[in-house]
Amino acid sequence: MTSTPLPTLLSILQVFLNLLIFLALAPLFDGIVRRVTARVQNRQGPPLVQSLYDILKLLGKENIDSTGILPFKLAPLIAFASMLCVIAILPMAGRATALTQYADAISLVYLLTLGGVAVLLGAFASKNIYALIGASREMTTMIMVEPILFMILLLGVLKTGSLDLGAVIYGTPMAAFGLPGVVMIVVSLFGLQAFVARQPFDMAEAEQELLGGPFIEYSGPNYALFKYYMMLKQMFYAYLPIAMFVPLLGTGFYLADLALQLALTALVFLLIGLLSATHPRYRIDQAIRYFGVLFLIALGAIAAAVVL
Amino acid sequence: MWLTSKIKQILMVMKPGVVTLDYPNERPPVPENLRGQPVFDHQKCIGCGGCSDHCPARCILVRDVCQELRVMLYDGGRCTYCGRCADICPEKAITMSNSFEIACDQKEDITTRMELFMMTCQRCGRCYEMEKTNAIDRINLKGFRYDNLEQRALIRKTSETFDPALLKESDNYQRPSDK
Amino acid sequence: MSKRKELEAKLIARLRDDVVCVEKTDPRTIFIDVKRAGIREASKIITTAGARYLCSVGYDNIERDGTLGMIHTFALDDSDQFVCCRTSAPVGDPVIESITPDLPSAGWSEREVTDLLGLRFAGHPKPKKLVLADDWPDGIYPLRKDVPHNFVPKGAEDVAYELDEAPPGTKIVPVGPFHPSLHEPEHFAVYVDGETIKGCDYRGFMTHRGIEKLCTTQISYNEVPFIAERICGICGSVHATAFSQAVESAAGLIIPRRAEFIRTMMLEFERIHSNLLWLGVAGHLIGFDTVFMQAWRVREQIMWLCERLTGNRKTYGMILVGGVRRDITPEIADDIRRVMKNIEDDLTIIHRAIEKDTSIHKRTKGVGTITKQQALDWSLVGPVARARGVDIDARRDHPYAAYDEMKFEVPVLDSCDVWATLVIRVVETFEAIKIVRQCLDKMPGGEFFVEMKDKIPAQRHAITVVEAPRGESVHYVITGEDNRPERWRVRAPTFPNLQAVPLMLLDEQFGDFPIIMGSIDPCFSCTDRVAVVDLQTGQSSSITKAELDALSRRAQSPSHSLQTMLRG
Repeated sequence: MTSTPLPTLLSILQVFLNLLIFLALAPLFDGIVRRVTARVQNRQGPPLVQSLYDILKLLGKENIDSTGILPFKLAPLIAFASMLCVIAILPMAGRATALTQYADAISLVYLLTLGGVAVLLGAFASKNIYALIGASREMTTMIMVEPILFMILLLGVLKTGSLDLGAVIYGTPMAAFGLPGVVMIVVSLFGLQAFVARQPFDMAEAEQELLGGPFIEYSGPNYALFKYYMMLKQMFYAYLPIAMFVPLLGTGFYLADLALQLALTALVFLLIGLLSATHPRYRIDQAIRYFGVLFLIALGAIAAAVVL
Repeated sequence: MWLTSKIKQILMVMKPGVVTLDYPNERPPVPENLRGQPVFDHQKCIGCGGCSDHCPARCILVRDVCQELRVMLYDGGRCTYCGRCADICPEKAITMSNSFEIACDQKEDITTRMELFMMTCQRCGRCYEMEKTNAIDRINLKGFRYDNLEQRALIRKTSETFDPALLKESDNYQRPSDK
Repeated sequence: MSKRKELEAKLIARLRDDVVCVEKTDPRTIFIDVKRAGIREASKIITTAGARYLCSVGYDNIERDGTLGMIHTFALDDSDQFVCCRTSAPVGDPVIESITPDLPSAGWSEREVTDLLGLRFAGHPKPKKLVLADDWPDGIYPLRKDVPHNFVPKGAEDVAYELDEAPPGTKIVPVGPFHPSLHEPEHFAVYVDGETIKGCDYRGFMTHRGIEKLCTTQISYNEVPFIAERICGICGSVHATAFSQAVESAAGLIIPRRAEFIRTMMLEFERIHSNLLWLGVAGHLIGFDTVFMQAWRVREQIMWLCERLTGNRKTYGMILVGGVRRDITPEIADDIRRVMKNIEDDLTIIHRAIEKDTSIHKRTKGVGTITKQQALDWSLVGPVARARGVDIDARRDHPYAAYDEMKFEVPVLDSCDVWATLVIRVVETFEAIKIVRQCLDKMPGGEFFVEMKDKIPAQRHAITVVEAPRGESVHYVITGEDNRPERWRVRAPTFPNLQAVPLMLLDEQFGDFPIIMGSIDPCFSCTDRVAVVDLQTGQSSSITKAELDALSRRAQSPSHSLQTMLRG
């Protein structure tokens, strides 16, 4: 990677392929969650592409700007753009894109946080009391959950001794992770619902009490961007543990590896669907306690990785 | 505990399968004695107005246009489908059909209007239906006539006087908080 | 009868001349007439004798003797009796001493009477508007006989309800009038400090339909049950039965035993469907939609059964004064048995799946707690009270219809939280299934409807209670001329329960607001039924969107035909 300062044509194509895969599949994966939820509730459920229809419909609607200030309008764009950046630098199925070499694990975490901050920005700009409560819950969740994500990546950093994204995510074979790796898989599974903001950890949006929380004042295309952002984020978080902890087939064929990883990601979505359909929403104080425990376990795993 | 209840919950939902229907394409059977849209048989009706007397929603109205002509108007827009009229009708001229998908744009589509030819009794001068005997004894109409202005106070205040001009005018109203 | 004599002796000993008379006609109801100076003392004596406050009824007696009447009603649960303490005040000086300082749950009843009849209460701790709209003109009391039922006053633009002061350091979160956890338009101002609720004020009564006024001015006895049924979308039969029983009791009409059995069955069907509905809604309110869908899937069977039985899913239209409308045929009886079996099986599965679910416990245990004493003070009713260790159930304490022959358990828990309410309502559903089966087994033959042959004499008072799924409903009827009641007061179970909600919310998390609110199974329409601006003659189900639109716009419109009519 260090030997090719100029990106090849293929790796430039790779950026667009990444974006295409995520933009096309995220709504479908969201559709899987909706379908699974429907089946758990003995319903027929919407078609798989329903989330895409929703986005298209929202895009065709009017943008109602209740505040008239710039941050309110910018927030959805920032959120969406930061997520696209994350995707653009992501080495999917072990193949680096043209942009991967300019980024590392820190910038990945940074870009993900930027998305969250944009949501907060929009919420605070909208000045709605529900949005404010939602934003404060979102902020608490971020403070608790982002370190857990960071520690998952840190494990890769520790094992390979490099901050390079490709190395962090794909550099360590499954067996080399050892016990800390197993613990981290469990942590990322238990943290999954919090990463994707679904039940039991969707208290920031909490329809029953906060009516959508941070997004309450958004409508039309702006809201569509936020929705798309949420779906992309959800797909990223579902893909990450697969990429890190499930070894590649090693066939050397990019497409085969990619197909396997995406199939496994779909399975993660199945799990997300099942978990969110069988849980009530936790209160924020209960969620904080839960994240605290998760944080300590993750910290323990890192400590173990350092010591071993 | 947590895990066992989650497994139980997943198992619980396996058995019934999908229970919702693809509604407009797939319809559940309608029970026989459903109280759906009432159907009026003008052949049987003697114009006694019993249905109008007993309608809790006041949706059956009676009007005597002249000595010989009585108009019965059923306003489906207000009907609560209680079926009281069908119970009361002495001639069984009202039946509750089992059609219930009667949402429509035009109120007239669910309004039934019957014009009944009433003969005047040569002895007392009151109305009765010619072919039935002694029906006069059943006529004891107290209310819900729409030719009677006092009784009319009861009937549709909201929909009747609403007009689009009013709606347009109201767009300019200021809410108290706007000030 | 000893209770009556005991009470009479106590009252006369303490109040002497203030007691006008203690009626002896009805064995079940003790009517006590006192002068207005002694009303607070009398209510104290009655409550210390072990009576539980039900509600207060105000009525217009101006035409007869120039007074406004006031009745405080109480129940003696251990001896199956009701105490109605009547008093009156001349219309020129309409002030009575308030009983709210002694009985907090009388607060709303008295405010309601102040709004609707203009009777004022000296010493009321919060004499604010309760029922009437903010812009309702002063000096017009809609329940008085001289105000027509369709009176619409001119709207005013710049009046708003003054909510209570927020405690210092708190923010106001407006919940409602439109909020997903409320289901009906009501407004709560919740005062929060961070996420902790520090207080709450309520401004409701937005779903006014003027049903009581309508039924006492426009329609006759046997049409009222159909409108009573539409007071509430969940416990319709309860209101229809309660009204019919009150009229029957006033008229001395004995209805066939078979009709009583069928009424009992309808009430229990309603309990089953309502409890399942509530279980689902409770699940939804804590964000657990699968419970919602599953409970409603099971509930659907009873809706279909009722559709086959009565011709409609919900507004059964079965109850009339004098009996019921449709009989239970042997085929239907088999159908009922089959459906009961299915529901019992399905509910058992759901019950097992959620009873040990720690994630549900997390959201419901220790939430919305108030003590048993507080529950007694605020005279809570129904599952909400039984979850706080208050052992009351109108079906057992004041048996009506065929409940005297039924054997059933009344579950009472004392963990005082939302979880206890949930458990009680699930257990009650199983009990309801038991009662339906007993009804089928024991049902006698014969008629199921008896005609009212004689005219019902005017000026008779009657009170009935019926245990609705969410608590006890109280109906008070004063019979009148023209084949219609002169005064009909409905007290729905939400009326007392809602008053205690601010207490339940205190120091809880804002995230628990929906489930605490939902735990009392609030039915705002039931609670609001009484006010008078009636534009829809009580038929809320028949309002179209355009009509509603027009209605809301016309509320501000000065050019209204009715107003011109009234001014003219």
